[in-house]
Amino acid sequence: MLEIKNLNAYYDDFHVLKDVSIDIKKGEIIVMLGPNGHGKSTFLKSICGLVSKIRGTIKYNGQNIAGLGSEKLVNMGITYIAENRELFPEMTVLENLKLGAYSKTARPYEARNLEKVFALFPRLKERSNQLASTMSGGEARMLAIARGLMSNAEFLAIDEPSLGLQPNLRDEVARIIKEINKQGITVMVVEQNIPQITELAHRLYVLEEGRISFEGSKDEALGNDHLKEIFLGM
Amino acid sequence: MFVEIIDVIISGMINGSVYALMAVGLTLIYGVSKAFNFAYGSFYSMGGYLAWMIFSVAVINSYFIIFILSIPVLLVLGYLIEKVLVAPLRKRDDWEIKVMMITLGLALLLDNSYQVLFGARMKSLPSILEGSLEIGEFILAYQDIVIFILSIGGILLFRWFLNNTRTGMSVRAVAQNPAGAQIVGIPKEFVFSATFAISTVMVGTGGILLAQKYFVTPTGGWDILVKAWVITAFGGMGSIKGSLYAAFILGMLEAFVGWYFGMTWVLIALFAVLLTTLAIRPQGLMGKWG
Amino acid sequence: MDMDWKRNSQLLMIIFGIIGIMPLFFGSTNFIMHILIMCLIWSVVASCWDLIMGFAGIFSFGQVAFFVIGSYASAIISAKFSVPPIFAVILAGFVAGFLGVLVGLPCLKLKGAYIALVTFAVHMILEPVLKGDIGRAIGTGGSRGILTIAPMNILGYTFNSSDPVPYFYLMFFLAVASSFIILAVIKSHWGDAFLALKDSEQFATCLGVSAFKYKLIVFALTSFITGMIGGFYAHYVGMLSTRMLGIDLFVTLMVILVIGGVGKFPGAIVGSFITIALNEMLSPLGSYRPIILGAMVIVLVLLLPDGIVGLIQKIMPKKKSGKSLIA
Repeated sequence: MLEIKNLNAYYDDFHVLKDVSIDIKKGEIIVMLGPNGHGKSTFLKSICGLVSKIRGTIKYNGQNIAGLGSEKLVNMGITYIAENRELFPEMTVLENLKLGAYSKTARPYEARNLEKVFALFPRLKERSNQLASTMSGGEARMLAIARGLMSNAEFLAIDEPSLGLQPNLRDEVARIIKEINKQGITVMVVEQNIPQITELAHRLYVLEEGRISFEGSKDEALGNDHLKEIFLGM
Repeated sequence: MFVEIIDVIISGMINGSVYALMAVGLTLIYGVSKAFNFAYGSFYSMGGYLAWMIFSVAVINSYFIIFILSIPVLLVLGYLIEKVLVAPLRKRDDWEIKVMMITLGLALLLDNSYQVLFGARMKSLPSILEGSLEIGEFILAYQDIVIFILSIGGILLFRWFLNNTRTGMSVRAVAQNPAGAQIVGIPKEFVFSATFAISTVMVGTGGILLAQKYFVTPTGGWDILVKAWVITAFGGMGSIKGSLYAAFILGMLEAFVGWYFGMTWVLIALFAVLLTTLAIRPQGLMGKWG
Repeated sequence: MDMDWKRNSQLLMIIFGIIGIMPLFFGSTNFIMHILIMCLIWSVVASCWDLIMGFAGIFSFGQVAFFVIGSYASAIISAKFSVPPIFAVILAGFVAGFLGVLVGLPCLKLKGAYIALVTFAVHMILEPVLKGDIGRAIGTGGSRGILTIAPMNILGYTFNSSDPVPYFYLMFFLAVASSFIILAVIKSHWGDAFLALKDSEQFATCLGVSAFKYKLIVFALTSFITGMIGGFYAHYVGMLSTRMLGIDLFVTLMVILVIGGVGKFPGAIVGSFITIALNEMLSPLGSYRPIILGAMVIVLVLLLPDGIVGLIQKIMPKKKSGKSLIA
């Protein structure tokens, strides 16, 4: 579904991603691990058209989408869910969700997706008229994921969904990601090593200093001494 | 004395309502794109001149038609000006200064074009509705009532637009969180241009409404720019609610100061109130989007 | 940094060296000498503005206002208290500097756009103040303006605008002195502090750079210099009116900065010579002149993002990586 070849990304003059190549197949859950500040977020943002300086090719269903802006990509079914949530604070939960369905492709499915999202997050339904700024950290995280789902995406890029969450909420996030995936959405999650999330992965990648340093299954990862070291080191 | 004070209050309310319409437009541009429009006052004059042209050149004596014809012109012009002049600057260093510079240049260009095209002489427009309402001792011109209703109507329409249309919601989204807006796929560039266009319509409409009370002159917009600006800062830049309150407070202040001390003191008084407010509350009355 | 200082002061000396010998060619043409004097005056005012806006990152739009305040102050002080013009000019600098602090105190803590607003509001209310009752009370002459102002007089020598060469060199001296002060500020640790502040105000504050203090000092300093130059202008032209506060002059000053380049210091000096000369050439066009001026701002801002200096920098790539003002 997504073939990323030799992706390079820059912030100003800072070379963040160096020749990253990844293949993502339809229906997969891909988890990318790696230390903080090594380019995981940048990688997701680059795929989703949120980094202005990139080089390389990103093929989405055969079409090169590298360099397209997020407004086009959201329309094509690629949606990013930010680690710092990026909600609209002075809008209600419902308005936030409606804006999640801003893209042309999502509009016809707005009502249907809203129903789906409310089934997945009953809390949000209860609070649909509350302002986003008044929500707790966990609720805001759920709202960010829910807003992403409203875009009717085929591919969801989720940036550190468990950041700042308590362990019981991490379980909840993991359950939701699994559920989303079951509905046929391809998911790529970027995380530091959170067991509940890593557990979901069909395949794992590790990104260090802007390069892929490991690629393989969970079991392969467990047998890799270097990986053990970085993860125990965290 | 009593009647006079009532008159002053009414005049403050009426001016306040038009100021509100214009200040909301100015605060909108700032709230959404953080850009600063020095040519805002020139669009006010443009509204007046458009109305005057339709009225005296095309000899159409209907405010309804004046509005129908002017609003699209203002909308398209505002959109194009943003696209051509402001948007290219946004990616540069020091773009805020450059936007101020380019809009100031535009203001000089427009004001002097009015001067060349229409001459320095003031233009006047007929009243939107002749006659007046007389209750006991005081007289309320129908014209003023219509101005008040149209201004408030314009603001309510705008509010409806922001809360109930997709474009309106995307405008609020960009104002509240540009990064979030980008993530959900809102075309920011379009929203910037659209808000600029809408604000141009708001101030231009204000110009049409006030042209019948005051005169249209080539440089008459500067006074409006400063007033709208003071109101915006007083209410909190980017805050629509703040601008609304501020417009009525300052409209009232203007009416009372003008009545009691004379018109030359109006700007000074406005400025004094603004500085005091900012010294106590640097973000203005409601320095947030609301 | 020493290299920078050296290179930039050399550049300033070259620029002023060229300006300084101009009377050799045009000394007998009063009209041209007058334009050159105006070029010098505006070069200082524009350089001050560049220091505030381009380096200190303060969106001040009160530059013309402080110029006008200085000119009125000097004219009034010299007339009312029979102060010799040369001292009146310095006192005018202090008046403008003091008012600068007064405006700066409440507004420099504000966000950028608010500063722009407050300072521009100072500009806008100056006209009604000078024309109104307050103005008449302190001797501005109301809307008529001040029609007779004593000419400059130093040690018994009276300057005369019909013989502009001495006036030229007096202004030349002021411009050189002001320019080196401005350069010294930019190249001092203040300049570094401002660069840090522009990058990240929070970070700079963490390092112990007090944004407010630096901004206030620079605001006061530039108001002082601008006020003094305003005072000089008053005694040079011999009459004042609030017409200076029209948007025309304001935009002219802006064109200077656009041509010179924002934050490209000696650029403003070059910009002022180009702009003022251009403005004179356009004057036969009458009321079309401001239209062209406005169009020029638009075109130049779009096409010449960093002014002439930026253009030169682009054509001649940097030799060293160190930050410098020119090339």
